[in-house]
Amino acid sequence: MKRIKSIALAACMLTAGAISAVGLSACSTADYTVGILQLVEHSALDAATEGFRDALQARMDAAGKTVKFDYQNAQNETAACSTIANKFARGYDLILANATPALQACANSTTSVPILGTSVTLYSSALGLKDFDDNDPAATTGINVSGTSDLAPLADQAQMILDLFPEAEKVGLLYCTAESNSDYQVAQVAEYLAEKGVASERYSFTDSNDISAVAMRAASESDVIYIPTDNTAASNSALIDGICRPAGVPVIAGEEGICSGCGVATLSISYYNLGVKTGGMAADILLDGKKVSEMPVQKITKEECSYLYNAEICEDLGITPPQGYKAIGE
Amino acid sequence: MGFLSALPGAIALGLIWGLMAIGVYITYKVLDFADLTVDGSICTGGAVCAVLVTAGVNVWVAMLAALLAGAAAGLLTGVFHTLMGIPAILSGILTQLILWSVNLKIMGQANLSVSARTYGVVISQLEAGWAILILFGFVSVIIGLLYWFFGTELGCGIRATGNNPNMSRAQGINVGLNKIIGLMISNALVALAGALLVQYQGFADINMGRGAIVIGLAAVIIGEALVNLICRNFAVRLAGVALGGIIYYIVYQLVIELGMDTDLLKMLSALVVAIFLAIPYWKKRYFSGFHRKKAAKEPPAPPPEGGETAAQEPPAAAPLQGGQSDV
Repeated sequence: MKRIKSIALAACMLTAGAISAVGLSACSTADYTVGILQLVEHSALDAATEGFRDALQARMDAAGKTVKFDYQNAQNETAACSTIANKFARGYDLILANATPALQACANSTTSVPILGTSVTLYSSALGLKDFDDNDPAATTGINVSGTSDLAPLADQAQMILDLFPEAEKVGLLYCTAESNSDYQVAQVAEYLAEKGVASERYSFTDSNDISAVAMRAASESDVIYIPTDNTAASNSALIDGICRPAGVPVIAGEEGICSGCGVATLSISYYNLGVKTGGMAADILLDGKKVSEMPVQKITKEECSYLYNAEICEDLGITPPQGYKAIGE
Repeated sequence: MGFLSALPGAIALGLIWGLMAIGVYITYKVLDFADLTVDGSICTGGAVCAVLVTAGVNVWVAMLAALLAGAAAGLLTGVFHTLMGIPAILSGILTQLILWSVNLKIMGQANLSVSARTYGVVISQLEAGWAILILFGFVSVIIGLLYWFFGTELGCGIRATGNNPNMSRAQGINVGLNKIIGLMISNALVALAGALLVQYQGFADINMGRGAIVIGLAAVIIGEALVNLICRNFAVRLAGVALGGIIYYIVYQLVIELGMDTDLLKMLSALVVAIFLAIPYWKKRYFSGFHRKKAAKEPPAPPPEGGETAAQEPPAAAPLQGGQSDV
């Protein structure tokens, strides 16, 4: 048995060696190599990655240069982020970190390779930067990290609730506490509503198993429900729709994906455009030699967002589509 | 070239998970208890450490607190199992669920940054070389302590409990208490690994424990397969488990370097564990008959059936007798 074991082990090692030799010889000769670390497969994150690739590729083509993308998905395993970041930290020209843990792992792997984040809401808390002001449009991190923030125009979204449902007395805020960015968004919206004299209450769940119970309570106690850009809510929007629509409670969503599943209307940022913006920053760094530490973290402005409504749910609830809103999918 | 320069990072991560796997080894191999608490307790350790470090507490104190928090998690699983009569696997799963809520409450949010650039941490991926040295020290000290502990009367009792609970009970060993102590030590080590992991990767995240048990088991099994060929000393076997963690992460890094489809990674690591778990069974099923025949022909050879089990737990036998004579 011992002999068989050691032979098997030796065979494994030889195979691994052979594969690695093949892998090394297959190294490309592109002008730039860009590593993309995405936390998990998810429509919003996928769109951001796609936008990034399209924008950077277009700029590279225009400049007559070639770029090779090395796309890695961590499958929502934060431990895998470090291993992938460890690969990107050596020999890559630039790293795109898509979502908060991806950015954190990359920022903790290299101080030299420029890192751009996207789909990250708050850079101050993601990177532990005490002096960084997320609301300052000119704020730079001062380290080898910049990027784009997916912070939704929260005040405008809260105002939207008031405009569409002026008689609403109580707004239910439905979100997942295991999401890094939902808590902040809910707090901001609640603060805005309180300023306008509208009551709100938080209905939080810790994972997808609790959603139906929490959503039922929220639907029975609220006049309108607001859902921030929450990944767990996004994945379970059909379930939320099955509870809120029969109860006749309209949902205002933080982004288009949730709105198409269970919302009445949204003021949505486009993750594809967010990716395009990030791709432009990457081109500025690689082609124009801009310094990443001096580039402000960019946000989507209200003008770049779109007011959208869900035609089917609006019709079911007897809500007339508001002026100036576009139907989702049109 | 890329792979070679990524090796220090892989080794450091492997050492952290090796430490975690030593915790798994204590429950899975020594105590014969399939403990799923670890998926939660690794995150508990990380959460406690992250919260304390960001609050300005000394990082060593934070790691000690993480260790204690992990022990508390193990205590809970032990109480579920011994005092409430819940099966081992289910007790672990229940604690894991409880810890999901507890971890969220400890951190107050789903993700917390402990960047090495802002906070004074012991290890960081930014300095992988240093991290390897420090982690090597950590693992060595812990292996030394465990080697000493499992040689004491209490440690022998725990090993006896894992080997044969009925016999242990007959010898006057408090089986329930020993299981609880074993679980506490195991989860304390897992939580310490979590605290180190948080510092190394620079953040704590509510999802960080997902699938930890599979990585831990893989390290235990790879380590066993390697070290069993050379030496069966308890300390060497623990070192083998740490080595198993390192090998796991080197292979993992290699797979990622080769640009394999990451969608398949979880399935592959689970399959590797399944195959390695099956090997001892197949050995017994398909090769033991051969041994028996051979043994019948040669009576002086060591007893084959016992040979298999004795080979699994040889260090328990000798010190155990000393321990029992004290009882």
